[in-house]
Amino acid sequence: MEFRNSGIEIIPQSLNSIIQIIFMFVDFFYKLKDVGIPVSPTSFLTLHKALSSGLINSLEDFYTASRAVLVKSERYFDLYDQVFAHHFQGAEMPENEGFELDEMARVMLEAWLQNPESLSQLLGVDESALKKLTPEQLIEYFKERLREQTEEHHGGGKWIGTGGFSPVGHSGYHPGGMRVGGVSRGKSAVKVAMDRRYKDYSLSGPLTHALVGEALKRLRNLIPAGPKDQVNIDATIYETMRNGGEIEIVFERALKDRLKVILAIDNGGWSMDPYIPVVQTLFDYARAQFKDLKIYFFHNTIYSNLWEDASRCRKPQRIEEFVRRDPQTRLVIVGDASMAPYELFASDGSIHIEERSGMPSIECLEFLAKTFQHSVWLNPVSATMWDYTRTIGEIRQIFPMFELTIDGLEQAVTHLMQK
Amino acid sequence: MLDNNSGEKFTGASRYVLDDELAKIVNISMALEMPLLLKGEPGTGKTMLAHAIAESLRMPLIVLNVKSSMKLVDALYQYDTLTRLNDSRFGDSKRDVSNIEEYIKMGKIGQAFTSDVRTVLLIDEIDKADTDFQDDMLDVLDQMEFDIIEIDKTIKAKFRPVIVITSNAKKDLSDPFLGRCNFHHIAFPEPDMMRRIIRVHFSNIDTELMENAISAFYNMRKLEAIEKKPATRELINWIRALESDADFKPKQLADGNLPYIGVLFKKSQDYHRAQRILNGRQMN
Repeated sequence: MEFRNSGIEIIPQSLNSIIQIIFMFVDFFYKLKDVGIPVSPTSFLTLHKALSSGLINSLEDFYTASRAVLVKSERYFDLYDQVFAHHFQGAEMPENEGFELDEMARVMLEAWLQNPESLSQLLGVDESALKKLTPEQLIEYFKERLREQTEEHHGGGKWIGTGGFSPVGHSGYHPGGMRVGGVSRGKSAVKVAMDRRYKDYSLSGPLTHALVGEALKRLRNLIPAGPKDQVNIDATIYETMRNGGEIEIVFERALKDRLKVILAIDNGGWSMDPYIPVVQTLFDYARAQFKDLKIYFFHNTIYSNLWEDASRCRKPQRIEEFVRRDPQTRLVIVGDASMAPYELFASDGSIHIEERSGMPSIECLEFLAKTFQHSVWLNPVSATMWDYTRTIGEIRQIFPMFELTIDGLEQAVTHLMQK
Repeated sequence: MLDNNSGEKFTGASRYVLDDELAKIVNISMALEMPLLLKGEPGTGKTMLAHAIAESLRMPLIVLNVKSSMKLVDALYQYDTLTRLNDSRFGDSKRDVSNIEEYIKMGKIGQAFTSDVRTVLLIDEIDKADTDFQDDMLDVLDQMEFDIIEIDKTIKAKFRPVIVITSNAKKDLSDPFLGRCNFHHIAFPEPDMMRRIIRVHFSNIDTELMENAISAFYNMRKLEAIEKKPATRELINWIRALESDADFKPKQLADGNLPYIGVLFKKSQDYHRAQRILNGRQMN
């Protein structure tokens, strides 16, 4: 018996270069992982298999193949491109992507508006000098500073924040508690931040809110709607017996939950804080109840976007796009509907500057109400207090409003199930 | 071996305009024997690609149109109990009622496995199904076999089909699913690519007509609050309509006078909306 190295024969002089190549790929792989692309070791092995298939003969081939094998979502394609360029062509990492910078500069502007003193201290500049600037100039200034920052701390070859360090605007300076250092490319950091917030909502509280779940269960649209295409065996046997052995087949509709639900939650601002435990329970139950449930977040009222992430910074969803959803979708909005009237009526009413689209919120709400004829607004504020807040009154004219209580939920559910 | 056609390469079929990148990915996926997952908005030719692969490799195409209510077993095989019940009762068929196998019909995946030649299996719009379906299906495609419980028989694939899976990305697919596929995202064609596509379909089209139609088309895709944006298919049909109209002059399009926009906007709301916006523009 002779042992043989099946497959690859390693010729000593090329050993070094082979090791080099392997290291190059391993390095590349980890770099992809580092920037937050979810690459799995299995796919890395697959890529090696592809390399030995003889189909990859150039760097371009490798680029295409490794993207198809390693990167499983178009969201990461851009990131992949940049890592690839950096790794294999020795190209500089793009200094900063404009968008990311903009985003951060905006956050800084917000922090500035909230507390000029501490921000200027952080930046080490004179507060009064900054005060002379217009918001646009300020944003430009912040961008400039951010660019410097990256160069100083990362030697220019890396993104802001992947090093986990950004002296400006760490959590606490943004009302939502968003980590400024994490807004950048270091997706993993953002993910962690996001996961945390999300977790806050889905943590199962004590089951004292069980009744909320009970009420929500009624949302399950168990009214059979499909074709009668399932044989009910028991009924068939029974009817056949009754028929004296003549086969009588009983068809029925599948008891399938066809209900789609969009849940939009106001998760911003202290005014909602006392209600978050209740919303939390609602959220928990909702998750388990429906097959197709989309959850979005907003702050106070809805402008041109709803957000898929609880931190309301990463995944905006334009409300115009909602016309493409099934119009039978039930829209449930949870919020206290209490805000300054201008937030609802002014065309630039949002307290977040990135949301200024020129369309007053009230129109966005009307648009949603028109798109989804089955919609309700659940308000944690007691109904007896509704008349004292102007914006509640206005929103009630658009959405049928119900209290966030068992009674209110029951009514809301009944309303949603109306034809 | 499952694979007897591995020498063949995919270079693109006559009616489908393929970019190099996509051709490479198709070849890599075939070599790795992994399903290729294609994402992209409707009208980017995801489904057409599978047709083109089948055509150029000269393999039969089997299409599994995924439905939201579909169970995996529907895609594998069906046990036709009703026919058997009927046969046992009336006994007027040639089938042997005591032999259950005679009442087993292959589903699309089953057909691809039992086919005597290598096939292209297109699993269209996988995102419609739930995650259990997706994961279970990939198990079957991994193992290249499944069991028919009723007759306790294992069906093994005679030839490993070339598998193309499409998704409109309405839902995110699960990680294990993604892990077992190669992935490509087809972007909506750039105007340049669109010109090539149009040329494939209309070999002697008037350049002015094409340019004006394409630019009007991309403008109309930009209209807001449209439920279903016109895609490649609509553009091709639109050009066909324009060409067949003897009174039509390409210059009209540049002036904002767009006939037959019903070809582009198929939903009545979209149509009225587009109509309104276009009329508004013309008056200005």
